[in-house]
Amino acid sequence: MIIDRRDALAGMAAMFGASLFAPIARAAAGETPPIISSGPPSSPVFTAQQRALTTALSERVMPTTDTPGAIAAGVPEYIEKLLADWASPDDRKPIIAGLDAIEARSRTAFKIAADKATPAQQDALLTLAMEGKLPGGADFFDKFRQLVLTGYFTSEVGITQEREYLPVPGRYDGAYPYSEIKKVFSS
Amino acid sequence: MADMFDAIVIGSGVSGGWAAKELTEKGLKVLMLDRGVMVEHGEDYDFDGKPAYEIPARDRMPAALVKSDYFIATHGYVSPSNQKFYNNDRLNPYAYDEGEKFYWIRPAAVGGKSLIWGRWSFRWSPEDFEANKRENVGGDWPIRYDDLVPWYDYVEKYIGVSGSRENLPQLPDSAFQPPMQMNVAEKWVKERLETTSPGRKLINTRLSNMTEDKEDQGRSKCQFRNQCGRGCSFGAYFSTQAVTLPAARATGRLTLRSDAVVSNLEYDPKTKKITGVRVINTKTKQAEVIPARLVFLCASAMASTQIMMNSRIPGNGKSHFDSSGTLGRYVMDHIFRVNISGDIPGMTDYIEYGRRPGGVYIPRFRNVGGEEGIGFKRGYGYQGSARRDPLPPEGFGAAMKHGMRGYGPWKFGMGAFGECLPYEDNRVSLHADKVDRFGIPLMRFDVTFRENEIRMMDDARSEGEAMLRKAGLQNVTSERREHVPGDAIHEMGGARMGADPRQSVLNKWGQAHDAANLFVTDGAQMASISCVNPSLTFMALTARAADHAVKLLKAGTI
Repeated sequence: MIIDRRDALAGMAAMFGASLFAPIARAAAGETPPIISSGPPSSPVFTAQQRALTTALSERVMPTTDTPGAIAAGVPEYIEKLLADWASPDDRKPIIAGLDAIEARSRTAFKIAADKATPAQQDALLTLAMEGKLPGGADFFDKFRQLVLTGYFTSEVGITQEREYLPVPGRYDGAYPYSEIKKVFSS
Repeated sequence: MADMFDAIVIGSGVSGGWAAKELTEKGLKVLMLDRGVMVEHGEDYDFDGKPAYEIPARDRMPAALVKSDYFIATHGYVSPSNQKFYNNDRLNPYAYDEGEKFYWIRPAAVGGKSLIWGRWSFRWSPEDFEANKRENVGGDWPIRYDDLVPWYDYVEKYIGVSGSRENLPQLPDSAFQPPMQMNVAEKWVKERLETTSPGRKLINTRLSNMTEDKEDQGRSKCQFRNQCGRGCSFGAYFSTQAVTLPAARATGRLTLRSDAVVSNLEYDPKTKKITGVRVINTKTKQAEVIPARLVFLCASAMASTQIMMNSRIPGNGKSHFDSSGTLGRYVMDHIFRVNISGDIPGMTDYIEYGRRPGGVYIPRFRNVGGEEGIGFKRGYGYQGSARRDPLPPEGFGAAMKHGMRGYGPWKFGMGAFGECLPYEDNRVSLHADKVDRFGIPLMRFDVTFRENEIRMMDDARSEGEAMLRKAGLQNVTSERREHVPGDAIHEMGGARMGADPRQSVLNKWGQAHDAANLFVTDGAQMASISCVNPSLTFMALTARAADHAVKLLKAGTI
């Protein structure tokens, strides 16, 4: 006997009426778990200005030195994707508020859009945020830096260039001299 | 159809895989069922060996997905790289918002928890099988440690368990492969702790990750990637896929069906035997009853109990297998939410090369060697490790970036696993009217920790702190978070073994008192839970039960 799936669920809903468990009701709506979105953000999180500022500040937090920085590692795209589709909607608020506060300060202090400010001016703005001298600044700084670090150290650049990646270590040495590598192994 | 299979194994995890291996190797034609999706060794390990940037959402579960579909699994260790091994809590719920709070963390894939388990593997001790009787707690085990010794030997040699010989009465040695080495900081802690806390030991972990190849099984030793939960193409740790399934398939006598959920067992009260297994195809919803001569129920402690409870006497509501009234009772889980950590001074020239799964273990020291009068029964052990984290960020910019190229101090962290006593009223039951999408009544949990467990957690915290301080660790801190039963994912009991059919569901072979051809050999059968991890014991009990069942079958007894 083949039972039609939708009929069976509809029948169950009728049979159990009010006692139909919420997850069962939702199961009736779709038996396949949602696929984790990995394309571009399903809807934009930032305005063009906020996006440009995110890009600029990411690079100031994790700059290009002897290894590539945040932009080369795709950190700005990661941040917007995460806020759009992977994080809780509430996680956007302190980031957007902080970006806007930095933008406002840049326009009053330097008479220029923050993304167009000089690196030294951007560093000054980030420092104000870090020191809590902008509205919501310290909270923004902690969270934004965390986003940059997570995005960077889970990127190909971060894993394979800034840190040392051992896809198949093959052995364990619990007394390996740090002087052999002078960097951090990717986890 | 009626003669297609000699035995049906329900569940393909640690116990089910072993049942299928043993029964097929002894000549039986076996059908193994699993409600979850098919996962073939190697080819279906989608994220084996992949770095974070090749894993959806960089291997962190999206918040919305946790909220909608994995709201229980999130209390386990679900991530995008192992998500398909885990139960979808929306599609397959239990009555989680009724009864007492319980996290029923489940897999839903062929291989079951063997794919995603922690792999710490210990023999139980003689004391573990004797304490119930001596203390008159729960019911006496109908077996003793010596009954299991040959079966421990047998499964350990086959699966490969790494560890060190210690000659501890409370933690008998296995047939070991060489241990994974301790790191320099763990050796320091071991030396100091064993000196400053005489009688206590810090030992290498015992792990079902191999340190030697098993060429005959096509398995390599551990490669120190520490990505076990995604599935390991090297076959370096015990899983159904790497170990027992290939053995069962090699006999040519195994049929494996995934996406097959068992709702109940059909029973003939005249012969007192199972006649069939009712299976629902999870994709088509087609239900069928497959005739069964012998059934090994290995669906997991709670799911096996659920299937038994849902096999009911018509018009009665009572299970065929509950003449004792103990079915669904004496449910237990290890205490788990006590953690202690501290800094280890020095040794900063050294770091770890390779990512070692596992760590070190402090075996039980409470209520052993004649100790008594400490305010609670039984004991606990600690699982821990020492490691160095990368230096945290300071400020931002180039100085921050380059400042993170070093490591912070060695830190030691450990968490307690402790024994929970068996209580008659710690029980699970079928919901009176809520059913899942297959019409199977939802499980309801009424399991709580009691005074003995609370005192034990307090003791594990204070002793752990004191021990690490005495050993010379600095900045020692501890936490004791709320333990929700199920947290340890070591839930056991529900269909306990016992000598007396009036007091237990299963006999000393895991054979149902009420059905001679039903064997339940997973965590449901446990009459107490020791303080050590249970899977190795499930394997030994399953191999032993399979041997006995085949003897009975050949003798014509079942």
